[in-house]
Amino acid sequence: MVRHLPTLSIAMSVTSLALLLAQPATAETVTLGIGTQDTTTNTVTAGVVIRQLHLLEKYLPTDGKYANIKFELEWQNFTSGPPVTNAMMANKLQIGMMGDYPLIVNGFTFESNPESKSRLIGVAAYSLSGSGNGIVVHKDSPYYDLADLKGKLVSVPFGSAAHGMVLKAMQDRGYASDFFQLVSQSPEVGSTNLQEKKIDAHADFVPFAELLPFRGFARKIFDGVETNLPTFHGIVVRTDFAEKYPEVVVAYMKAIIAANQWLRDDPKLAAEKIQEWTGISKEVVYIFLGPSGNMTTDPTIKPALIDAATTDVKVLQNLGRMKEFDPKKWVDDSYIRKAYAEMKLDYDAQLASTKNYEISGEDSFCRKPIVDPRKAGEVWVDDAGILPFASAACTLGAYADLKAKGKKINVAYVFDTTRGIKLFADQAFYAVGAGDVAPFLLKKDAETYATKINGKVLGFDDAVKSAVTGGKT
Amino acid sequence: MPAAAAVTEPSPAPVATPTPASPSFGALAGRWYRLNQDRLRATAIGVISLAAFLLVWHLLTTYRVVFFVRFTNVPSPLAVYASFTKAIHDPKFLMHIVFSCRRIFFGFSLAAIVGVPLGLIMGRFKLVHEVVFPVAEVLRPIPAIAWVPMAIMLWPTNEQSIVFITFLGSFFPILVNTLHGMSLVDPVLVRAAQCLGARERSIFREVYFPASLPHIFTGLTIGMGVAWVSLIAAEMISGQYGIGYFTWEAYSLVQYADIALGMIAIGVLGLGSSLLIRGAGQLVMPWRAK
Repeated sequence: MVRHLPTLSIAMSVTSLALLLAQPATAETVTLGIGTQDTTTNTVTAGVVIRQLHLLEKYLPTDGKYANIKFELEWQNFTSGPPVTNAMMANKLQIGMMGDYPLIVNGFTFESNPESKSRLIGVAAYSLSGSGNGIVVHKDSPYYDLADLKGKLVSVPFGSAAHGMVLKAMQDRGYASDFFQLVSQSPEVGSTNLQEKKIDAHADFVPFAELLPFRGFARKIFDGVETNLPTFHGIVVRTDFAEKYPEVVVAYMKAIIAANQWLRDDPKLAAEKIQEWTGISKEVVYIFLGPSGNMTTDPTIKPALIDAATTDVKVLQNLGRMKEFDPKKWVDDSYIRKAYAEMKLDYDAQLASTKNYEISGEDSFCRKPIVDPRKAGEVWVDDAGILPFASAACTLGAYADLKAKGKKINVAYVFDTTRGIKLFADQAFYAVGAGDVAPFLLKKDAETYATKINGKVLGFDDAVKSAVTGGKT
Repeated sequence: MPAAAAVTEPSPAPVATPTPASPSFGALAGRWYRLNQDRLRATAIGVISLAAFLLVWHLLTTYRVVFFVRFTNVPSPLAVYASFTKAIHDPKFLMHIVFSCRRIFFGFSLAAIVGVPLGLIMGRFKLVHEVVFPVAEVLRPIPAIAWVPMAIMLWPTNEQSIVFITFLGSFFPILVNTLHGMSLVDPVLVRAAQCLGARERSIFREVYFPASLPHIFTGLTIGMGVAWVSLIAAEMISGQYGIGYFTWEAYSLVQYADIALGMIAIGVLGLGSSLLIRGAGQLVMPWRAK
């Protein structure tokens, strides 16, 4: 028996060697790790949508040097940016996405990595006015404006886009650094603390400033639009990977373009699917990514965003968190440009455009076309879909009408009269008078407007009643 | 008194037998050396091993060694030292340490005050054991980080939530070891005491408690360690102070040197507090061999 063994093993190795040689060429497997933030709603078109619809597989190159390379995609989900940076530094991920502040930290951290640098190659979504970040308080609290929070305990995830917003807001209003008692809490911790009223306010990034009010225990008292500092989420790549497989990075950019198109083709379906994939309520997804939403999905790297990043760097430097870093040198738009060219799209036209897609169509209640989408409104009826209406008054009128007909309404949206940001109708304050219904995020703004039109400020329920009796235009 | 000089040496061992004639300094030093030879040797080897650890760390990170384990981006000891020198000039860093020590102190003390008596009672009375043990066994494996949301909701202030998590960390090792100590008490000793007419209270005080003390102290030492282990999870709630929070914040800003500094600070503080408990153990149980 023992004597047979070597013969057998030799025979076997010869066979396997022969088999090995018989194959034309060995297929090489390359693992591509992608770090996503599924719950951060404005990154979904660069992450979870691509993963679930298998869009990257569709665009991955298969010819030339890629004929024998098989890409294994490894998607990893995180709730914030820093862990993505950490995994990218460790080369467990090659592509990652995160908000503006974590992105800069990512670029800066990679400066000291001898193997690779990181480059900003595209944008997932942005808001030029800084919407998306916001400050919420408990709904029972007596705070309606930032000024009310003097000396109060405010938490924010340090090093996040929301932290930048808070600092900018304080700077704009000339508040001293100890105006609030500012502490650092992650979204998970901050949300629970706010619910338990252990903190007075919580500032956070997408989607928490909308999600927490939607959950019913919080009220937004400050929106990033007031800072007017652009905010965005972007995609970074390890340069060692990008230089070795540039076509794969281009394919990834194409997948983002395709994902954005999928979103805009049917925003309601997209919101429902994203809820299914990420657990974030579809009504919240829709307020960000739906038509006239608070975020614009656009992969082009706009100069205004890079200027904002430069401002962010200064903020971090003032905090002693960063040394020299130039965001302009860190941007590499060659991949996204190539993707646009190969898909026969005009990059420069898109780069110059800051238009979102807007609410359109025919108002079925007031019976007129929608001309000014940022004065319009929408009602999401459970079985009938999302219906557009021409004005806030029409929206509230239609809401009452649908309710009276016994329809189940998921949510209604209106727009802040001066800032043009989309609001949950039941969270807004309404200045009502002289046949006019003007929704506002802030009570203070509604009061100012009401004085002007000689009207009064109403909550949602009263505003609906007044719309039924005489607010119809 | 020349003996006083010997006593103030950093050695708790009782040395320097009073001698009427004043011996020469050399003779005293020689005797002190003979008495503490083992301890000196252990200290020397400890210092050498720590130095070797630092050297290996330095070399691995300087040459960015990649040998399955990758040291490419691990901060070097010098980078961590630079962070350290910056930190000690920052009064905030001292606050971090003070806050953490206070939290650990309260959490651990509460765990000891609750855990040891509970363990003793559970070990003595079967019914209590049967009631408490299953609950304790279910709660014991739950990691500190999983407790964070519940801790926030349970307690009115954040400071209490943090102390609660460190309490949980040290409570279970203390309870389990106390129980273990109780189960190992020699029944012969108990019967002997009973034959001599001892009542329940005396048996508890004179037999059970001293016999399980060594295990109680093992539990306290482990409990102290676990209290520090759960510190980062606990101080995620803090948002402002604490060495665990410092480490967590460094992570959210991806500052590797500060992360390492936080880790080392937790390690050193943990070591210090374990030594304190061991010292207390020697005071309480002088009959135990070192």
